[in-house]
Amino acid sequence: MAPPFAAAAVSSSSPLFSPSSSRPILRRQLPLTSISLRPRRLSLAASAAAAESAGRLLLEVRGLTASVKETGQQILKGVDLTIHEGEVHAIMGKNGSGKSTLTKVLVGHPHYEVTGGTILFKGENLIDMEPEERSLAGLFMSFQAPIEIPGVSNYDFLLMALNARREKNGLPALGPLEFYSVVSQKVEALKMEPKILDRNVNEGFSGGERKRNEILQLSVVGADLALLDEIDSGLDVDALEDVAHAVNGLLSPQNSVLMITHYQRLLDLIKPSYVHIMESGKIVKTGDSSLASHINEGGFKSIATFV
Amino acid sequence: MSPPSLCAASCSAPLRACPTSLPRSRRAAASVSASRAAAAAVSDDLVLRIAEQLEDSASSSPLLDPLRSASALSLLSTPWPTRRSNEAFRFTDISYLRSLPISLPSQTPSSAPAPPPSSDLGSSHIRFSDGLLVSATGAHAAALADLPPGQARDRAAAALAASAEFAHRDLFYDFNAVGSSDVAVVYVPEGAKMTDDPVHISFAYSGSDGASMMMSNPRVLVIAEKGAEVAIVEEHFGIGEEDDGACYWANPVVDIVVEEGARVVHSYVQRQSSAAAHTKWTTVQQNTSSKYEFVEVSTGARLNRHNLHIQQLGPETITELSTFHLTSQNKQIHDLHSRLILDHPRGYSRQLHKMIACGTGNGIFDGNIKVNRYAQQTDAGQQTKCLLLSPKAVVNVKPNLQIIADDVKCTHGAAISGDLDPNELFYFQARGVDVKTATDALLFSFGAQVINRIPFKPVEQKALAQLKELLTLSRQSN
Repeated sequence: MAPPFAAAAVSSSSPLFSPSSSRPILRRQLPLTSISLRPRRLSLAASAAAAESAGRLLLEVRGLTASVKETGQQILKGVDLTIHEGEVHAIMGKNGSGKSTLTKVLVGHPHYEVTGGTILFKGENLIDMEPEERSLAGLFMSFQAPIEIPGVSNYDFLLMALNARREKNGLPALGPLEFYSVVSQKVEALKMEPKILDRNVNEGFSGGERKRNEILQLSVVGADLALLDEIDSGLDVDALEDVAHAVNGLLSPQNSVLMITHYQRLLDLIKPSYVHIMESGKIVKTGDSSLASHINEGGFKSIATFV
Repeated sequence: MSPPSLCAASCSAPLRACPTSLPRSRRAAASVSASRAAAAAVSDDLVLRIAEQLEDSASSSPLLDPLRSASALSLLSTPWPTRRSNEAFRFTDISYLRSLPISLPSQTPSSAPAPPPSSDLGSSHIRFSDGLLVSATGAHAAALADLPPGQARDRAAAALAASAEFAHRDLFYDFNAVGSSDVAVVYVPEGAKMTDDPVHISFAYSGSDGASMMMSNPRVLVIAEKGAEVAIVEEHFGIGEEDDGACYWANPVVDIVVEEGARVVHSYVQRQSSAAAHTKWTTVQQNTSSKYEFVEVSTGARLNRHNLHIQQLGPETITELSTFHLTSQNKQIHDLHSRLILDHPRGYSRQLHKMIACGTGNGIFDGNIKVNRYAQQTDAGQQTKCLLLSPKAVVNVKPNLQIIADDVKCTHGAAISGDLDPNELFYFQARGVDVKTATDALLFSFGAQVINRIPFKPVEQKALAQLKELLTLSRQSN
């Protein structure tokens, strides 16, 4: 894991270090001055530092705006986000701040329309790509509410997904028998029932089974950047550990994760190098994992007041 | 052919006296007075012509005669159903049946083409070829004529006599009764359990020369005695030189009696030739605590009409119906008319009907569930899902629950969609699978959801393979 804040030089000349930011501290007398200030500086410094220290640039989002296709309601209002290989990012924020929308827009959900800005993934313009092309390019999103597909077995679904990838890479398709040894290991690693493979995709699955099933898909098809949308919701403590263990097992110096969560406990298990705070369709703050613990204690208000 | 100045009312008397002689008594009646001829409006020349043809060809059988005469009588006053005149055919255009004159298969089964080699599904086989019973082998299968005097024969006779009283009969039911030459009987004695060893009933049909439509009227009677358990697999298919275009009219009837505590597992696959007409009756009588599980897959025939009639005879019955209809060719008509009549307490039923209509295909579903006064604490559920894959495809769906009892749980739902669920499609795309592949998979799974309920692997696999093939063909033609 890159130590992103080691190189974070404190600069008093930071344009963000404006007098206005000190006001809330005075007013609320929060004992968190150091925490609330550090990320402010980091948001600029860290990205510059990361460009030097971390791996190749993976995802670069600039000024992204997006709205709901049907109603035209704007959800994303200028998101900037940069992710390098090997980094773990977490996005936190209130309900309705646009976190899930961001991940859905990134994978091309038809419900949303990009109205402005750019998304570059591995240097390619993501906006022009079909959802399946984005997936094959190495982007994976775990659904917050995974879809039921009656009549299609989990096994067949996983095999189709894997073979789509193999075809893209010029590899011969795997037969159902060859696939078994591949998938059974992954099922075991996630401590799932082997029977889950024979069941229809997500049909009648419990909340926990659905989340594990998303991670099973991730572990079968792999991804350069995994967008994990609230994989911790609906999971008990043991299940969360299994899932986190699986995600950590997938992490390498080349792979990155962007997770959305409301809770500290996931961040304790999958350690983020960056934590972003999203509000009203924008990333308003970026910091390290201490930012998350700050929110855990003081709520989003304690952060927002510094903006 | 005598002029259509006939009289149904006057015919009824001589017919009762001489029940199996419809054509002769009709000819006699033709010369009666003009005032009687006024009643001729209720009889239909085409119906009588076909009935005459059938009756002339059928040989006499003492066990079948009560049923035959009742049906012959009924045919005298049955008009040919039209969409305007008959509610049961309001959405179903059966004019295809009138497009060619009817011919009947010759009575010698040896001249009929041999049915294809059977699968190793079970140890009992019943084979029909063009409506004629070719063979019935196995512990519990026999031709009605071959049944030795005894319990099985008595029970079969009683069931056939009861069929003569069947109140919900229609034209096709009566045609079959008049025209069926022999009946295959599956008799499962008390307590016998053989659901792992299904009775495989195959119905092979071949077309005639093309100038006429060969009509066949096979009939099967299944009796599961108290506590017995039996599985039957019913397959209808065309065999012909041209493989796909054979023109014929299959008009089979299957009557099933499920006695107290008995269980019948019924799989039904209809893949007739694309020029065939298939009008089918399935009647089921369920006694106390009996269970009837039915899975249907219908993909064939230009015109397909299935009347599925289930009557509850005692409390605590379980009825599970799963049906799938696919109209993959243009102008194809698939119709399911199901009726479940509950007259006793604590019945449980689940019905799922799915259909896909492509091209200019037409799918029809009329699903009636009657929960009568004494059917308290009934738990009845019905669901229908339709997919229209082209702008010119049509489905007519009429789910209807008639509930008189006041302490029941009944649900029904109907979904008609012109598109696959975009969320499901996106889920595939998000995993790297393109829209075309995902669409194929989702269409396949739409039908597979029903087909997977067939409890016998070879039958299930064959139906799945055929579904895949038909979907591929229909996509190519679009």
